[in-house]
Amino acid sequence: MSEAAVVGLLVATVQFATLVYLAGLGELIAERSGVLNLGVEGMMAMGAVSGFMMALATDRPWIGFAFAALVGMAVAGVHALVSVVMGAGQVVSGLAITIGGLGFAAFIGQDAVRERADAVFTDLGIAGLADIRWVGPILFNQPPVVYLAGLLGIAAWFVLNRTRLGLALRAVGESASTTDSVGHSVTLLRSGAVLIGGAFAGAAGAFLSLYMAAGWTEGLIAGRGWIAVALVIFGAWRPGRLAAGSLLFGFTLALQPRVQTFDLSIFGFEINTISPALLGILPFLLTVVVLIAISFRARHRPSPAPAALTLPYRREER
Amino acid sequence: MTDPGAAPEPTHAPLHTVSRGRARWHRGLMRPVLQRRADVVPAAQAVAFVIGIAVALIAGALLLLAAGNDPAQVYGRMVDSSLGGINSISRTLLRATPLALAGLAVAVAGSMGLWNIGAEGQMMAGATVAAGFAMSAGDLPGPLLIVLMLIAGAVGGVVLMVGPALARAYLGVSEIITTLMLVEVSIRIVEWLETGPWKDPESQGFALIEPLPDQASLPGLFGRTHVGALFAVALLVAFWLAVSRTAWGYELRMAGSSPATARYAGISLQRKVLAALLLSGALAGLAGAIELTGTATRLDPGLSNGYGFAGIIVAALALMRPSGVAAVAFVFGAVQVGGQSIQTLGVTSSIATILQAMILIGALVAAVLLNYRVRWVRPVGHPPEEAAPPAGPALDRTPPSDGSSNPEASGV
Repeated sequence: MSEAAVVGLLVATVQFATLVYLAGLGELIAERSGVLNLGVEGMMAMGAVSGFMMALATDRPWIGFAFAALVGMAVAGVHALVSVVMGAGQVVSGLAITIGGLGFAAFIGQDAVRERADAVFTDLGIAGLADIRWVGPILFNQPPVVYLAGLLGIAAWFVLNRTRLGLALRAVGESASTTDSVGHSVTLLRSGAVLIGGAFAGAAGAFLSLYMAAGWTEGLIAGRGWIAVALVIFGAWRPGRLAAGSLLFGFTLALQPRVQTFDLSIFGFEINTISPALLGILPFLLTVVVLIAISFRARHRPSPAPAALTLPYRREER
Repeated sequence: MTDPGAAPEPTHAPLHTVSRGRARWHRGLMRPVLQRRADVVPAAQAVAFVIGIAVALIAGALLLLAAGNDPAQVYGRMVDSSLGGINSISRTLLRATPLALAGLAVAVAGSMGLWNIGAEGQMMAGATVAAGFAMSAGDLPGPLLIVLMLIAGAVGGVVLMVGPALARAYLGVSEIITTLMLVEVSIRIVEWLETGPWKDPESQGFALIEPLPDQASLPGLFGRTHVGALFAVALLVAFWLAVSRTAWGYELRMAGSSPATARYAGISLQRKVLAALLLSGALAGLAGAIELTGTATRLDPGLSNGYGFAGIIVAALALMRPSGVAAVAFVFGAVQVGGQSIQTLGVTSSIATILQAMILIGALVAAVLLNYRVRWVRPVGHPPEEAAPPAGPALDRTPPSDGSSNPEASGV
């Protein structure tokens, strides 16, 4: 196995990790406020197609990226309206957004399918560091979105754990009635979290269409939204662990298209006999295992899951 | 519960003073309050469904106009291809069958307040086990082979559901997430079978699974439909009888709506959860096997075709009731057939997907507005400079509650 192959794998790992981390961070924020958002897949598709088309029109990837975040936010607004303001079921609302978002993205993107993007993100190539062997290409020659995702992760951690707003947000995810009784608006907090989550999902979709795939096709998202949902559980609803989990999930995603070209044997086991499809199962199975492990541990210490997750709140009802 | 004249809870008041400074940013804003209507709208859910359809059609028409299509022409073609004539109706029934079966699978779990989000995966698992059985026992006579394949399908669905069901019943692990995760797992297993173990040796470079034996296809009814449609109707009737006319069904519903009552009545919640989820998995697996033997010549990863996910929407719109499942599945089947037909007009079939999602969103909002009254109130209970709460009735001060008896309680 050549050095170039290993470096290529790790470069792709960081990029896939960024993709699922961005979307996962948005899902994490929404879930910490008590709202399960199963619409990530649809929001990513909407972000991918709208970001791509905006970048085509303006010739600037950043405008496309920002627009995608806005579109993701707008789509999330539907989820916020239905599941938070109206208090209807979060599960069905989220699924409707995934199904509808995928359909809507296919509809508005039908003319963009064959377009090749000229306005895509380019690798940053940090001077002096990018040329270092191994580390340079993996860490210091990535597109700007990779570094932005890292900053957003730190910001999300800080807001969630070190500010009053974060405290209120986490509180509303544990017990909406308690948070309401101290004077915070449950509707505003939860809607805000869902909207921010939508912006993150839309931005993640744009990273896919404006860099990783550099184009739009109907099946572009290909289940990465579901991986983001899985990642939040795998990362135990914490931004830091989410980052570690996204590197692991990113590694399996990066390995899938490459594994059969790798000429490497470990203890007589040929790596290239692993099926890419079976490798793709790994994140989902690991998430189920983690979920079961969490509930085993929850007998002795509190579960990391927000206690009010999926519970709608209407003050006038009990 | 929503008695506006209720006296304010005195012990509740000091809490408001704790964080008055922080709460100031939204003080004084008029805010909407949903109040449950005393007068119940008859057949509210059916009305909501019709409103949902209307909302979806209007939104779809605007979308079509924006894209430069003639909505009347597109909708005309959709109606004609799905409902205009016996052949068209047979095409609608062909799609309504897996939708109804998947919807039924979701409704079985849903009548206990559980969410089987993984019907899509269980359909794949059922089809996979059924196909595997047919490949290894391909010389059985047709009827016997088909019956055994359908049983194999139910087994396949149960196999994928055993883990989530046990985890939910004994550890309280959210079935929402576990069933969802296994969807991706089962689809990828079929992709793996396609490229490796079950690859058709005659398919050359293409990744195709071996075709099913010729006798492994369900007999047709009329037009494009097959007897699977009859199975769906029979199972819906059986489900209706079981849930609304038997003690088992009553206990199931009680276990979902009021776990505490059920426990006092000596009902084992764990066994009810297991029964509901495993039955749900079996039905979804059966749906997959029926889809395989009814419409396909071989197993492929696209067989479940989103029916499992759409089935969740069908069941939710039907409020988990069998008659509703049949009606919604028929409408969705018609929308899907219509979506396919408009491709000849140069319109993408994705308009059908959008319409289905819009119907649900529209109906969800309509159902809330039919069951609740929206009142705009000014928040009270945050007096500007007084530490003591104001006297008099305060509409907005009834102690809130989380609704922890909500059936959607997940226990992630």
